[in-house]
Parts: sequence; structure tokens; C-alpha cells
Amino acid sequence: MEFVSPEGLRLDGRRPMEMRQIRAEIGVVAKADGSASFEMGNTKVIAAVYGPREVPNRSQQISDQALVRCEYSMANFSTGDRMRKPKGDRRSMEISLVIRQTMEACILTHLMPRSQIDIFVQVLQADGGTRSACINAATLALADAGIPMCDLITSCSAGYLNSTPLLDLNYVEDSAGGPDVTVGILSKSDKVTLLQMDSKLPMDIFENVMQLAIEGCKAVANYIREILLENTKQLEYRRGT
Amino acid sequence: MAMEVEGEEMVTPGEVLGKASDVKAGRGAYLAPHNKTVYASLTGRRIVIPPSPASPDQRPTVEVTGHKAYGAVPELGSVVIARVTKVMAKMASADIMCVGPKAVREKFTGIIRQQDVRATEIDKVDMHLSFRPGDIVRASVLSLGDARAYYLSTAKNELGVVSAESIAGATMVPISWTEMQCPLTGQIELRKVAKSGG
Repeated sequence: MEFVSPEGLRLDGRRPMEMRQIRAEIGVVAKADGSASFEMGNTKVIAAVYGPREVPNRSQQISDQALVRCEYSMANFSTGDRMRKPKGDRRSMEISLVIRQTMEACILTHLMPRSQIDIFVQVLQADGGTRSACINAATLALADAGIPMCDLITSCSAGYLNSTPLLDLNYVEDSAGGPDVTVGILSKSDKVTLLQMDSKLPMDIFENVMQLAIEGCKAVANYIREILLENTKQLEYRRGT
Repeated sequence: MAMEVEGEEMVTPGEVLGKASDVKAGRGAYLAPHNKTVYASLTGRRIVIPPSPASPDQRPTVEVTGHKAYGAVPELGSVVIARVTKVMAKMASADIMCVGPKAVREKFTGIIRQQDVRATEIDKVDMHLSFRPGDIVRASVLSLGDARAYYLSTAKNELGVVSAESIAGATMVPISWTEMQCPLTGQIELRKVAKSGG
């Protein structure tokens, strides 16, 4: 199968280094302390943040910092096959742990001792790159909740098909069996907080693919900052300050 | 201190606010020790507060004022408003509802021990004559406590019960630092009353 045409266009018409359209919205869940929805192409994710709140399970309480918990789930209707997955399957647990570790790296947990921050992420529509979209949605939701963070974490994926590095794979490209690199970085300080890869890749090509993913992360970070600043200006306008 | 809004600058988490040698990190900002730079930790407006002339440190304080802030977390020494949930022989349990002027979004559990009720006659304190379940109490956080709850103290004059209901169901009026009176029945009930409370 051909994923990049000789003219350099992908199956959906993008260039190899082009991202899908990004759309984000803040404050979509009224009852949550912070919430956001995030779309990357046809992948739609919604995130809600509750907290800091009291830790209900005392044995898990940390005396000098906040406990971060994350729950990832995919809606039954989010893929082509309507699947009825039991809660806590391996993939959900793995992605929950990945999101939790990524968010723990950027939340200033020492400011909120003995409390708990809950992040709930739900995939409404999956078209590849779901974990990147989940991390971006969680970052937006945390910023909406006013939880202090050292930086904004953004995530993006990249792949390598037909001897070409591709940015922001969709489902068809992801299913092609080629390598898939997911990177999460702190956007201003350029520190990598998440790095995952499937399949094999030579080191020199891996560096190219990773560099491409990092540039995708920075593009997402610029967009997220615009959304946050626009939302803050609107709030200020409504408050009249 | 006069607050001086410098320009129309909006910042998001991770943006540089200044060098540690030039500015001090205030609310919504933090100092990264590895490169001695002050970054924003919240989304909002960047505000520079000039130093007071008497201060030996002449660096201004930079803050980020966001319209959203996470719910308050009790800290050591902060004054909290709590509702008493259970009274036992040696301690009383309370749910913390406010930390200073800020409401807590989710409750935190606090404990008022017998030795922390008042500063005088500690040995003669009777918990049931100091608090009743449902009373609203102003207290200060003594310590972060054990794994179970924060330790609260009402040992100062301005700490104690600020609002209580009588058996008849009316809000009682404080008449001394140990007594409250029901306006309906005139019944006097004993409480550890906060000064100028109620």
C-alpha cells in the first residue's frame, strides 16, 4: 500500500510534516474544577480535572505533596467496531499510567500537600494519536483548573512509512505496521517527559522522526497557549477588570 | 504596596518572568534553581509589585494573577472555618470548609484535641461543654497532623465557636467567652466562644 504519493501527499492530502487540524475548547464540563476538549483531526478527547481534594484512601496519602491520579477510558462508540471493553484492560491501564507520570512531572505537587488531583480523560472518537490528544487535553484541563504547573506539557506522534518521516499519524497510517514514536515535552524548557515507540527504527532515522515529533509538540504548545490567553482575556472582559 | 501593572502582559505556565537576581517569585510564579530564572506557574496577567522602601531586598516581586485558582489547601498556621462533625471525650472532629477567605472545594478533615481548646486550665477542659456537632468553628491549623486529619487549635481568644444552634433550633447569641444564649427560649449553653464571633 502506498502512504505517500510521488507528489509528496499523504492519504488525507497532508504533506509529511503537516499536522491534522487542531481544535480545543476550555470549560466544557461545568461540574469539574477544570475541563477541556481537544481534537486532532478526527480524534476527539475530553478531559476533566477535580481537585485538589482530600485523599479518600488514607493509605495512599503523601504527606509532603499532592497525589495525582488519572483514569483513561475509551467510549464504546469511539472506534469502528463497537467494543465492550471491561474497565481496567491492559491498554487503558498503561495509558492511564503514562498520562499520570507525564502530568506528575509538570504539576507543582509540593504546593498542595496531602491532597489529591484526579484527571479523567475520555476518548470520544479515535482516529490515531489518542494518547497524544489525551495528554494535550489533560494539560488544558489542569491549566483551566488553576493548578500550578512548571510548564505546559504537549505531546505529538510521528512515524516512518515509505522511507519518509510522517508527523501526526492518523488511524490508517498507524495501522500500517510501521514505527510510531510518541513524544511529550515541556514546551518552554524542551525537556522530554514522555517517549514511547513501537517497532524498530535505526538510530539516525529515529533521531529525525523524534525531531519531527518535537516540532509537532511545539506547534501544539503554541496553539494551547493561544487558547489559554484568549480564554483569560474573555474572563477578564466579563469581570470588568 | 502599590500594585503596578506592567503593560498588558499575559503569561501561561512555563513562560519566563525574569531572572532570580532581578525579581522575586510571588503567587503564581516559581523559581527554577538550576538556571536561577523565575517562571510562571499559572495562566493570567503578569504583575510587578515594587519593593517597600524599608525592605533590605530591593528586588520587585512578580506575580501571576489568574482568574482560576485551585481550591485552598490548609497550610500550617492558616485560619480555617470548620464544622464540627463529632465530639468525643478527648477530641472533636471537624470538616474544614474555608481556609482564610477562600472556600475549600472538597472537605478536609481536622481534629481539635482537648489540649488545644483553650490556653488556660487545659486539664479541666470538657469537650462536650466546648463544642457540639454542627457548630461552626474558627480555628488555626496547628500542624498537618497524623495520617488522618489536620490538627486544629482554638486556644486563642478570637478562635472558637462562631455560630451554633440551640436545641430549639435557633442561632444562639454569644454572651461570654464560655456561654451562648438561645434567643427563643433563653436557655444558656456552654461553648468555647470566639471573640467577636457569631
